[in-house]
Amino acid sequence: MQIFKKLFIRNNKIFDIIVFFISFVFFISLALILSGIFFQTSLKIFISELSNIHLWNSIFLSFKLSSLVVLINLIIGIPLSYILSFKKNKFSFLLDLISTLPLTMSPLVIGFAVLITMGPLNPIGKFFISHGIKFVFTPQGIVLVQLIISFPFFVNILKESFDSINRKMINLSKTLGASSFEILYKIILPLSFNGLLAGIAMSWSRSIGEYAATQMVSGVIPNLTETAPIEVFVKTSYGNYPAAIAISALLMIISFMSLGVFKFFYYRAKLTK
Amino acid sequence: MDFLEVKNINKSFKNKKILKDVSFSIKKGEISSIFGYSGEGKSTVLSIICGLLKQDSGDVFLNGKNIGKMEPYERSISLVMDEPLLFPNMNIMENIAFGLKLNKNKAKLSLHKQNKKSVKDIVLNIMDILGISGLENRFPNEISMGQSQRISLARAIVTNPDIILMDEPFSNLDIISKTKVRSLIKKIQKELKITILLVTHDIEDIMNLSDTMFILNKGYIQEFGNPEDIIKKPSSWDTACLMGTDNIFEGKIMSVDKKNNKITIYFKNNGSDNDWYIECYYQPEFEENEDVYFVIRPEDIIILREDRMPSNAVKENHFKGKITSAVFTSRMMEILISTSENQLGNIQFKVLMPFHAYEIMKLSAGKTVSISLKKSAIHIIKKKQHVNGKLQ
Repeated sequence: MQIFKKLFIRNNKIFDIIVFFISFVFFISLALILSGIFFQTSLKIFISELSNIHLWNSIFLSFKLSSLVVLINLIIGIPLSYILSFKKNKFSFLLDLISTLPLTMSPLVIGFAVLITMGPLNPIGKFFISHGIKFVFTPQGIVLVQLIISFPFFVNILKESFDSINRKMINLSKTLGASSFEILYKIILPLSFNGLLAGIAMSWSRSIGEYAATQMVSGVIPNLTETAPIEVFVKTSYGNYPAAIAISALLMIISFMSLGVFKFFYYRAKLTK
Repeated sequence: MDFLEVKNINKSFKNKKILKDVSFSIKKGEISSIFGYSGEGKSTVLSIICGLLKQDSGDVFLNGKNIGKMEPYERSISLVMDEPLLFPNMNIMENIAFGLKLNKNKAKLSLHKQNKKSVKDIVLNIMDILGISGLENRFPNEISMGQSQRISLARAIVTNPDIILMDEPFSNLDIISKTKVRSLIKKIQKELKITILLVTHDIEDIMNLSDTMFILNKGYIQEFGNPEDIIKKPSSWDTACLMGTDNIFEGKIMSVDKKNNKITIYFKNNGSDNDWYIECYYQPEFEENEDVYFVIRPEDIIILREDRMPSNAVKENHFKGKITSAVFTSRMMEILISTSENQLGNIQFKVLMPFHAYEIMKLSAGKTVSISLKKSAIHIIKKKQHVNGKLQ
């Protein structure tokens, strides 16, 4: 015990070494596992797979759908974060809880819930179907589940960013004659610009990589509802590993880049505070 | 009807009543101030006037119009707070012009077609008046606190509000910027004829700036009037304490002589009677044998020179005492004089005098001196106070 105390608790150098060692080992193994797929194929097969039009269709579909999701996120996320941050009251807790719930819920459950609710047996689903809007086995359905899954990311990041704005400053601008809308677009949004970009990047990457919930409502219709992550699963189940590897590699590069954008703005937001 | 009228404002926070029937009114073109201890609801009054807080009951009238239920941006009232609170995403120019570019003020400016000046001209003009020209393209994090506070002031003035509220605008400034900003406010107030309501806990701000003061204590307006009158003749013990009157004594009136313009009061020190007494000029509404307080400002106590015969003017209310301490504060010597070593019979006087006088008279701690309390400077306060017309 004495030796342990001497070596670990009271020695900064050894403490540093141990901390660095653990993080380094973890980092190396993570990198190896993720990049493992690149070593399973040859460059020639990889390139020939990339020239497959089917692959690009699924990638573009994912792109299109998640960009749409981000757009809807902006429209509903800004008012929601505004309410959560600036109109705090007794029920904010409940609202915050509900809007964060999809973060911790299993995506599969969310997908299943949408599948059931929007199905023809449910009154809500019946209503939409009778008006010609189908959410099951259609791109709209994918947008809906991806929205449910990605908006907590957007709202939480934006809310945190709104929370860091000085309330006294907001009050003061009211006395200068600014209405709530003017305050929102002249002060609040410019000041939380970094948070906004980070939120967009985060929700976009989340929805482009989303598989489980999407799978539940997609119905895997090629070129219509078959997004890139689903394509990976389909190709793997057929045993077509080279194709799966090619899409996975592309997805990995995409999420690496979009997460890089997120981290960049996130750290800039923290620095400018 | 007065320019701004606040009528019977009540406000409670979590069942604690902060403001009880606060009513006051201020005149156009004057600097008025609200004075009181910290946490007595001074800032709450300002927040209610500019609409950031809703009152529980009561009304606010501006120019005869009831604005008590309007949104903050609909009232033409600007607020300057203790922090400059500049918008960090805009440069100084944009900061000051912020108010001008808002829809509400755009409409207001276009009504007065005679000043067709552009927004930029208006801003440059106000920056010139406040002595901050040349900072247009800087950002708020690059300039000093004193400058920031002046910019905050410019931002409030530039929208041409009916009244500017200031919530302890000097409390975060160092002593040099404080004096500068203070004199600046006085100057521009005269030039532009703005109405200002100032909230402060620093008596110096009030003596320097305001025409009228309101004392807010325990949730109601305890006293109001000209600051000089109040500081010399406080009407209650609370006010006297608040205004920094250090010589407050308990006494019992021995005799009231209206004919000879004289009231004699015994000191009732530490509850026990003794033979010390003072004389002062006749003040109405006092009776013999009445328990009272009486106050004298430390500046009005004169230390007599030993080498000279006292002149007529100081031939009144003589006491002998020993200097127990002499401290040099920022402006004056602060001297404590005790009449007796004995705790029970001791009366302590606080005297303020200029340093040069202190030096010429060769005073020092431990020396015995004679002091004189000017008759005219002694002010008697009733023990039972009438507050808001009710007997407390």
